[in-house]
Order: sequence, then C-alpha cells, then structure tokens
Amino acid sequence: MAEASSRPEGSRGLFWTTLVIVYAAIMLFPIFWMASMMVKPNEAMFARPTQWLFVPTLDHFSYVIEQGFHWSLLTSFVLCTVSTALVVIIGTPAAYAFARFEMKGKDDLFLFILGSRMAPPVCLVIPFYLIYAKVGLLDSFLGLTLAYMTFNLSFYVWVLRSFCRDLPVELEEAAALEGWSKVQIFRRVVFPLLRNGIVATSVLCFIFAWNEFLFAFMLGGKSVTTLPVSIPKLITSQGVRWGEMAVVGMTALLPVLAVVFVLQRHIVRGLTLGAVKG
Amino acid sequence: MASASETMTVAKPQATGMRERAWYPYLLIAPSMITLVVVSLAPFIYAIYLSFHEAKFGRVRDFIGFDNYITLLTDARFWNSIGVATTFVFIAVPIEFMLGLIGALVLNQNVRGRSILIPLLFMPTMMAPIVVGLLWKIMLAGSWGFFSYNVLERFNILGETSIFASPELALYALIFVDIWQWTPFMMLAFFAGLQALPLGPYRAAAVDGANPVQMFFHITLPMMTPLLAVIGLLRFIDAFKVFDTIYILTNGGPGISTETPSILANKMTFEFWNIGEASALAVLVWIAFFAFCSIFYQVAKKRLNAF
Repeated sequence: MAEASSRPEGSRGLFWTTLVIVYAAIMLFPIFWMASMMVKPNEAMFARPTQWLFVPTLDHFSYVIEQGFHWSLLTSFVLCTVSTALVVIIGTPAAYAFARFEMKGKDDLFLFILGSRMAPPVCLVIPFYLIYAKVGLLDSFLGLTLAYMTFNLSFYVWVLRSFCRDLPVELEEAAALEGWSKVQIFRRVVFPLLRNGIVATSVLCFIFAWNEFLFAFMLGGKSVTTLPVSIPKLITSQGVRWGEMAVVGMTALLPVLAVVFVLQRHIVRGLTLGAVKG
Repeated sequence: MASASETMTVAKPQATGMRERAWYPYLLIAPSMITLVVVSLAPFIYAIYLSFHEAKFGRVRDFIGFDNYITLLTDARFWNSIGVATTFVFIAVPIEFMLGLIGALVLNQNVRGRSILIPLLFMPTMMAPIVVGLLWKIMLAGSWGFFSYNVLERFNILGETSIFASPELALYALIFVDIWQWTPFMMLAFFAGLQALPLGPYRAAAVDGANPVQMFFHITLPMMTPLLAVIGLLRFIDAFKVFDTIYILTNGGPGISTETPSILANKMTFEFWNIGEASALAVLVWIAFFAFCSIFYQVAKKRLNAF
C-alpha cells in the first residue's frame, strides 16, 4: 500500500488508529442504540433520563411477526434477486460491448445511460404510477421489477463497463486468431476474468434495490410490500411502534453489513460510478 | 467525439477479425438499450406530455400549453422548495467535503486494521436511507430521544419538543443527518484517491526538505483536484434529490420549511393529485439534472480520465 504522506512509525500509527476507532465508535453509536431498542421494553425506551440498563423483552419481535412482516422480508429478497438477475443477464453483454467496440453516437448513449441512473426517482415515479394504473401493473411483482431496472440496469452497465476496460485486450485477440467464435471468446476468455466485477456490481445492484423506498412505496401496495416500506407503516394512528421499527430497521441493515465487509474496495468504485477505482 | 478516438486504439487490433460483423456490438447493447428506452425514456416523454395537459385526479383532460409551467413558476411554494434544496445542498455538501478530506488524510496515515474499519465507516452510506431516517427519528425524538435529551435539552438548545417540530431548526437537523450519512462516502472516495497517488514526488520533496503541510498544498492537493471535483459534483447532484430521509423525518414540515422539490412533487401527485403541475415540476428538475449530469460526465472523462 502506498504510504504517501507519512513514514511508518509505531507510536504515531497507534495514535491515528485510536483516533479512527473513536471516530467510528461515535459515528456508529446510533446503530448500536437502535439495535438495543429491539429488545427494550417501552417503559425503558421513553425514560427520562436515558435508561441504560433494562430487562430485555421479545415483545417487539412477536408483534412484528404477528403483522406478517416476514412476508415483507421474503418479498424484498425475491424481488431484489429477480431484478438483479435480470440486470446481469441483460446488462453484461452491453457493458462488454461499450468497453470494447466502436459505435456510432456512443457518447450520446452514455449520457442517456448516466441520465437514467441519476434522474431523481420522484420524477420517474409520477409517470410510472399513471402508466401502471392504466395497464394494471400497480402493486405487482412485475411492475416493481421493471421499475428497478431504471436505476439498476443503467448503474450495472455503466460500472461493469469500467471493469471491462481493465481487462487486457490481448487475450481476446489471441483467441480470435485461434479462430474462436465471438460467443466462445466471451464465455471462455472474458467471462472468467470479469467474474469478480460482475459479482461486485450485481451485489451493489441488489443492495440498491434492497434499500429502495419510493418506487416500492408508490408502485407497491398490499400484495407487494418490501421491507423499507413496512417501516413507515409502523407509524400507526395509535402511536409510533418504535421497538418494532427498530426490529425491521436492523433486519434491513444486516445484508448491508455483510456486503460492506465482502465488497470493501469495490464500493467506492460503485458509488462513484467507476470514476474512482477504489 | 473524444471517446471515439480513445477506444479506437483499443478496438483496432481486433478489427481484422471483426470488421465483417459491424452489427455485433449493436446486438450486444440492444436488450439493455431497449429496456432503458421503455423504463426511462418513455416515462420521461409521458411526463412531458402530461405537463402540457390539464391532469387532475388521474384523469388527463385538455391540452393547455404552458399553463402548468406558468402556474408552477409563479407559485411561491415552488420557489420556497428551490430555496430549501439550495440551502440544504450548499451547507451539507461543503461540510461533507471538508470533513471527508480531513478524514481521508487521517485514514491515509499508518492506521492499522483498515480492512475492518473501512467497512464499518461505510455503514451510514450503504444502509437504506429510510433506515438512516429511522435512526435519527429515534435519536432526535422529542423528550426521550437519546440525542435530544442528552445533548440538545441538557445544553438548553431545545426544550422537550423534537427538533423536527421547529420551523427554524428542522432543516438544519436534516442537513446534520445528511452529513452523518454521506461524509463516509466522501472520506473513502478521497482515501482511494490518496492511495493511488504516485510516491515519486513525495520522495523528491522529502529530499528537498519539504514539510508535510507544504507537501499537502504543493503535491497532494494539485494531484487530487480532478478527483475532488468529480466526487464533489457527484455528491452535489445526489444531494439535490434526497427524498427518503426527509420524507420519514419531516415530510417537508413543519409547514413548508423543509419542503424540497422532490417532496413537493410527491405531495402534488399523491396528496393534491395535481398531476399536470407535478409533471411540469418533474420535467424542470429532470432537465436541470441532465445538465448537471453532462457536466459531471465531461469533467470525469477529461480531467480524471475515467469512463
């Protein structure tokens, strides 16, 4: 690793490490606090001054399961998996083609893809809602899968293209000289080298879909309720169910926690749309 | 076009075997482009169509020309939302930028255990914005919220009410939440940039006896400028469209004190059912975004050699 601005010195290293750990602990405190609220009885929750010790309870979990929240979990999982799989199937060849071949109006196509990715979801949800109301796609699985394509397909093509550009072109040339067909080259040369990029990019797509709120909220409904949408539903007319919200919130957080550890370096690349190589 | 000449050099050696198949790349991009036309271009065109019609309660009536746009542009509420978003972005993004840069420089010292610390630091950025909203709804809840009680109330900044109920302070609370959520992104993107810097100039400067501050201003900063610009621009664009956290925390309230164009468009559509005017707003926002996007694209491509 390039230590650009300092020499390795033991004691100073310890100082900076401690500093970062303290910073991280303060920043992540709200997450610990929410985690504790999952098992916190209501009396302790609203106590003034803040009560640190309490007898844990599982009431919030049982309420959340009574309300059929595990179905939201399943819906979220299936929806995100299906839409991500579709994105990978449709998007991979496009990313490869954009990285390797000359095309007319490529710059304009790029701007179109980038624009699709960056468009504010609120702008999209209005026409989507009206079109879906007409064709009967509101509150349907297919409808949401399609809507998720707007930001995820454009994201996938854009970022995977930057991974494709990192591959050495010589291997493909050699294979072409051997007389391999285009499909063979793609399957046996490009795909194995690109596998890490595909995994990283598609996992990010999954997380974006997993975290998505507005589309799921407006285009979904009683039969298709995703996890993020089930959170504001716990703000009921009889009051806010804080503990239950904490349970759902932490459930939504767990896959993200797993992903940040596994993807590490690729997250920066994904979030900067490939502008920074991470 | 610039990218054409760039990719030419890559594509040329292959051209011998592939010249006869000029349609091949188009075949590869066709499924993606068709899908994107359906899910992205079609809704946009439909929104333009709606914006020129009287459309209320899901029923599209007469063509009314620019009336929706005129109503919108003469509506104080629209200008209020632009003002709110501008305040939000121009306070939140520079702070995130500075904190991110400082954090990246600290992280670039010989910090140990980065492979554990970096993912943890990334949590706020990667988690669902709706959960970010929920976290701070809990921390900043009136009277019993951890932060409200132990910080705001104890230091007499606020009484027992939630900060989100205060018309003057609610927007700043949202800015604070955005800073919490996005500083890690800035920090880790800048850190990635620092890690990629070549060592040569630093060695030369060390030989010349330059101190760390001089190195930062004369080597690090100039080399980082394109990256800083691209990341800053990206965050700037993203910050304008924040919806989820504002929706769950204030939904534009109290009154219209935290109402951004996104929140306003959403209310116009799903609360007032004034779809024509909402579409006009969407189209305007869309065009503004597209302009920003193309600036981002040009800067990233030319200055950073990305894309």
